[in-house]
Amino acid sequence: MSTDQELSEFLKSVETRAFKRTVYAVRDEEAALDIVQDAMIRLAQSYVDRPSSEWPMLFQRILSNATMDWFRRQKVRNAVLQNFSDLEVADEDGDYDLLETLAASSDASSESAADAVSRAQIVLAIEAEVAQLPARQREAFLLRYWEELDVAETAAAMGCSEGSVKTHCSRAVQALSKALRAKGIVL
Amino acid sequence: MIRHASTLNNDEKDVLQARFALRVASHLERACADVSPDVRERLRISRQSALAHIPPAIAVPRLRPAFAGASAGQSFDLDVVSGGSDAWWRRFTAFAPLAVLLAGLFLIQHIDHQKTINAAAEVDAQLLLDELPPEAYSDPGFEAFLQSSGSGAEP
Repeated sequence: MSTDQELSEFLKSVETRAFKRTVYAVRDEEAALDIVQDAMIRLAQSYVDRPSSEWPMLFQRILSNATMDWFRRQKVRNAVLQNFSDLEVADEDGDYDLLETLAASSDASSESAADAVSRAQIVLAIEAEVAQLPARQREAFLLRYWEELDVAETAAAMGCSEGSVKTHCSRAVQALSKALRAKGIVL
Repeated sequence: MIRHASTLNNDEKDVLQARFALRVASHLERACADVSPDVRERLRISRQSALAHIPPAIAVPRLRPAFAGASAGQSFDLDVVSGGSDAWWRRFTAFAPLAVLLAGLFLIQHIDHQKTINAAAEVDAQLLLDELPPEAYSDPGFEAFLQSSGSGAEP
């Protein structure tokens, strides 16, 4: 397979998720499309000679950098700094324990959430909560569990340590579980 | 029986976390299916634009003979040139035709110059070997040349 065919197949496999991930970050579809295009071009121009096994991690890193560049251009540094700080999730319910929720849902024969809420509404709710996550937690969560990068690849894409990736993922899961449970959604 | 979180070990906690996260991811994947046709078309155009930006020296077919072994049960793909020397080799092949052209132009110019020199040398040699015409001896310039060179040229 030629390089351009290989790259085309790869980009086709990641473009939609890349678009959605960027929309969660910038909350603007037009801007997200521009950012994704920019990332694709950067990959093709500068890194296509790398082994294709590295393209997933490289593309995610480029996409993150392109998103950061967009924020800089938008001159929303305060918002970026706030998003990039490791905010503690406000635990309004002092006794809330994620693992109790997860353990209960895995052991009990809980009915599907589609019984109470339509599947489309569930998707919308999940998207809204993912978009609400702090940027680093969202990035780690999506790269690790949606893009299916391993911990090392996720750390390379984010430019942080593997320990940080695990921490961000854990906090993201905790925040999402609590937020969705508050909306009556149990996965 | 519902188990309390405190009874779970770290591995079990990781499994639960991953299970929840993958369920969220599956819902996000459904969201991708709902992307509008307009967005899909824009993404397709972006992809085509990216392909147009591949450097020409790199947009060549990769030779991929598959060999058994390597990691994760995948075939071990052997490129024509490996990682680091790949870029060097492609740069060389990009500039080689230009280098050959310049060398050829230089060679042509050199050969042409040599021909000119040889032709002039041949004319000079024939002049020197030829007999002097009688008119030369009445030429004041020739007389001055003989005096300056100090040679007594005999007719």
